[in-house]
Amino acid sequence: MSGNILDVQNLKMHFYMGHEGIFGGKKKYIYAVDDISFTLAKGETLGLVGESGCGKSTVVRAVSQLYRPTSGKVLLDGRDLTKLKRDEMFSARRDMQLVFQDPYSSLDPRMTTAEIIAEPMRIYKKRGFFKMSDAEIDGRVEHLMELVGLSKFFKNRFPHEFSGGQRQRIGIARALALRPHLILADEPVSALDVSIQAQVLNLFKDIQKEMGLSYLFIAHDLAVIKYISDRIAVMYLGKIVEIGGYKDLYANPLHPYTKALLSAAPVPDPAVERKRQRIILKGDVPSPNVQRPGCCFYDRCPEHKDCCRQSLPQFTQPAGAAAGHEVACFLFTQK
Amino acid sequence: MTDETILQVKDLRTYFYLDAGVVKAVDGISFDLHKGETLGIVGESGSGKSVTNLSIINLIQTPPGKITGGQVLFHGEDILTMSDERLREIRGNRIAMIFQDPMSSLNPYLKISTQMMESIQLHQRLNKKDAKAKAVEMLKLAGIPGAEERVDCYPHQFSGGMRQRVMIAMGLSCNPDILIADEPTSALDVTIQAQILELMQDLTRRLGTAVILITHSLGVVAGICDTINVMYAGRIVERGATDDIFYDTKHPYTQGLIKSVPRLDRDTDERLFSIEGQPPNVIDLPDCCPFYPRCHKAMDVCRQKYPPLAQFSNGHCASCWLYAQKDAGSLNLKDGKNER
Amino acid sequence: MKSVSLAADAWRRLKKNKMAYIGFWITVIYLAVGLFAPVLPLQPYAQQNTDHAYLPPSFRPAGVVELETRKAYFAKVMAKEGRTSYNENEQAQINSIEERNKTDPVQQRHYILGTDSLGRDMLSRTIYGGRISMMIGLIGTVTALIIGIIVGAIAGYAGGATDAVLMRFVDIMYGLPYMLIVIIMMAILGRNVAILFVAIALVSWLTIARVVRGQVMSLKNTEFILAARSMGAGAGHIILHHLIPNTLGIIIAYAALSLPEFIMSESFLSFLGLGVSAPLASWGSLISDGVQGMQLYPWCLLVPAVIMTVFLFAMNFLGDGVRDAFDPQSKNRV
Repeated sequence: MSGNILDVQNLKMHFYMGHEGIFGGKKKYIYAVDDISFTLAKGETLGLVGESGCGKSTVVRAVSQLYRPTSGKVLLDGRDLTKLKRDEMFSARRDMQLVFQDPYSSLDPRMTTAEIIAEPMRIYKKRGFFKMSDAEIDGRVEHLMELVGLSKFFKNRFPHEFSGGQRQRIGIARALALRPHLILADEPVSALDVSIQAQVLNLFKDIQKEMGLSYLFIAHDLAVIKYISDRIAVMYLGKIVEIGGYKDLYANPLHPYTKALLSAAPVPDPAVERKRQRIILKGDVPSPNVQRPGCCFYDRCPEHKDCCRQSLPQFTQPAGAAAGHEVACFLFTQK
Repeated sequence: MTDETILQVKDLRTYFYLDAGVVKAVDGISFDLHKGETLGIVGESGSGKSVTNLSIINLIQTPPGKITGGQVLFHGEDILTMSDERLREIRGNRIAMIFQDPMSSLNPYLKISTQMMESIQLHQRLNKKDAKAKAVEMLKLAGIPGAEERVDCYPHQFSGGMRQRVMIAMGLSCNPDILIADEPTSALDVTIQAQILELMQDLTRRLGTAVILITHSLGVVAGICDTINVMYAGRIVERGATDDIFYDTKHPYTQGLIKSVPRLDRDTDERLFSIEGQPPNVIDLPDCCPFYPRCHKAMDVCRQKYPPLAQFSNGHCASCWLYAQKDAGSLNLKDGKNER
Repeated sequence: MKSVSLAADAWRRLKKNKMAYIGFWITVIYLAVGLFAPVLPLQPYAQQNTDHAYLPPSFRPAGVVELETRKAYFAKVMAKEGRTSYNENEQAQINSIEERNKTDPVQQRHYILGTDSLGRDMLSRTIYGGRISMMIGLIGTVTALIIGIIVGAIAGYAGGATDAVLMRFVDIMYGLPYMLIVIIMMAILGRNVAILFVAIALVSWLTIARVVRGQVMSLKNTEFILAARSMGAGAGHIILHHLIPNTLGIIIAYAALSLPEFIMSESFLSFLGLGVSAPLASWGSLISDGVQGMQLYPWCLLVPAVIMTVFLFAMNFLGDGVRDAFDPQSKNRV
């Protein structure tokens, strides 16, 4: 698809966890990502939201080929990453960089800030893909630091001398070093204080505009996802249950899980909170170690029917929903 | 919430003496807690909210920490000067505490029943059979299905949300006057968090327990707290009823905090407000307003002295020079404008 | 706030630990003396002089000490035989010593720590013996480190079959009786200092391999390693630039603690007679020689023993201190 920087088709990531008995027996898997498909247009932000065990972090790792997907296609600018050889993958990585969640463990504690930000450039330079002299690399490091709001005078400091928010900025600068087109951000603000979170979110938006980046943005906080995304996909147990524009999804949630999620999320407004009718789901978030024949949400769904247990619902755009707003739920397909 | 005051914290100070300098983790905070009240303590990292908790029940590790001043009056008795024996009678029994990560606060080698009965037998002097029955009753109250069987399970056999329910059940098993909950839902998923908060609200209302809830989430305090303390760099910068804090916000930090939380229920495309600058470096803080470097309404006097407490109606108060006119002297804003 | 690297930070913490700090300086002094021994004003360690055999430690010239020692010996003999004056033989000896004291420059030497059975200066022998011992410790440690780090890093990073094979190999080697192997090797290949180095190093990389492997395995899945992979870094780059620098703390601590072990091994072998051969000395061989005359000439045993023990203590305290100083709890410190 022209115009789409990322096209994920039927992506599956199943982790093999051994056998049930000592000798043979059934194989055990964790179905972390179980057949998901989505597209990301150039310059767009797609938010992926869900609770623990839904597979959103695994999606990032599978898309970036840090884990080899069990099956499916990942098309980056038309090239299928799952079929590339090592050298081709190396050159493809330039266009797709990651920002991680934990500011305390995503930077090598023994490297200075300048070394951390310059590392991708040095790696690519050594293999001949990047043509800059050392002095030019230094200059670019300083430029990147200013871009993310860090003073270039800190470039010889070590990560432990910075606060969490500043470290996240270093991580962002590092991700921008090779001028990628796509950034995969795995919960980049979840570990930050509220006031710093706002700064970093604004930073993401600013550099997106300035550099024409596309984001695949993972978070568990619905309000954060709403602020940063153009389109949002809601995940549960390794599957996408609903996908739509940020306004549509929140104004008109279709899937029972999306509705429960939205009603559970706290809002910093006492009057709103008092008036709310919460949909409290029963039970716990299940573990993705069983492949269910029916809908993944069946066990906790307050609106489930018999047919939901027997087969998987397909994506449809219900009548009356906005363009691009799709949901996988039998409540909308039996009509 | 009644008018009976069960806890009075007066000018509490807890300092940590480290190689790098002195960290005034809690630097002169005062507040009251009434029977049945749910008090929320909101702050970011470094604000001192967790240290406040530990100081209230005198659990600060000395060295390097030390409660250097103040009083914590529980029904008139000062916890900070109590004998060890009296402290043991109170902790777990009259004042219970639950923590953020239930996996590390539950002993993984002991069954749930053993751990719950330990506290019940110690404080209520029941025999084993009765204690176990009480434990099962608490688990049922906490919404754990199959409580009679599950009570003999080990912590790792429960999920995160379930473990937190067990913690709540344990905490409330002796029917304490105060339940202190330190970020009880921060590690939980949103849907589970909703369950747990509803449970806490329900149980504490039924049993008349007062709650001190520590959290960084403004949404959570908006939902279940009666009063809120906003902490910054070891001090309470604003205090008051929940509605006052959200709708009649006085302190610039609180205002900034509320504005910088993205809103689920609003469709704005505007840029998110953010408080500029970095969280305070808490080592060797000078004696001025700690929010000064980040405050867009800062004045010269803010840099020189810590502001006095200004009182508003209904117990609402804030420490800010904007409201302490008579002590401020000449009001010089940082950029020369006089915003009032 | 001034920027402070992790190494400088570790040094600051080390300084606070009094025992480790003293240990550090003692080690430095020993190493310096050992290094600069050839230019120090010492007597040749292999120089024998039967006249000066078994002289006790003293600051006075050798001649005077020799005279005194001889006279003391005669006094004992006389007491046993009930005499009060020297006989002819004894008088002759005394006269000859006094004669030599006036003319022979050799008698003007100073044996500060005494001499051994062949009249060799204990101070020089101990210092030169220390050179050998410390060198054995250093070379052994360095060799063990190099082999151990390579094997451990590869096993830890690669995981799977590679890791299994390498670790089984390590397990088997661990099960072998180390001393026996070294003795057999020495017996077959001859008593050469080089063989001694190799023999000791060959079996001692095992622990460091396990330690490095453990560290690498736990670091392998941290986010900064994942970040490095996401920017195209290959295994070599990751091991060299990320994993090993972050394992350095443990490596250094281990090295500081294993060096004394090597010295102990060597001295044990020398004590058994399998270490360095005369006229070279090592602390172990000196102690072995000293044991023989222990009751009458205690300094022959005490001098090398005390000097070696002090060094081992110093290195052990230093090693403990280094391990604490590099404690990866750094993120909890303010």
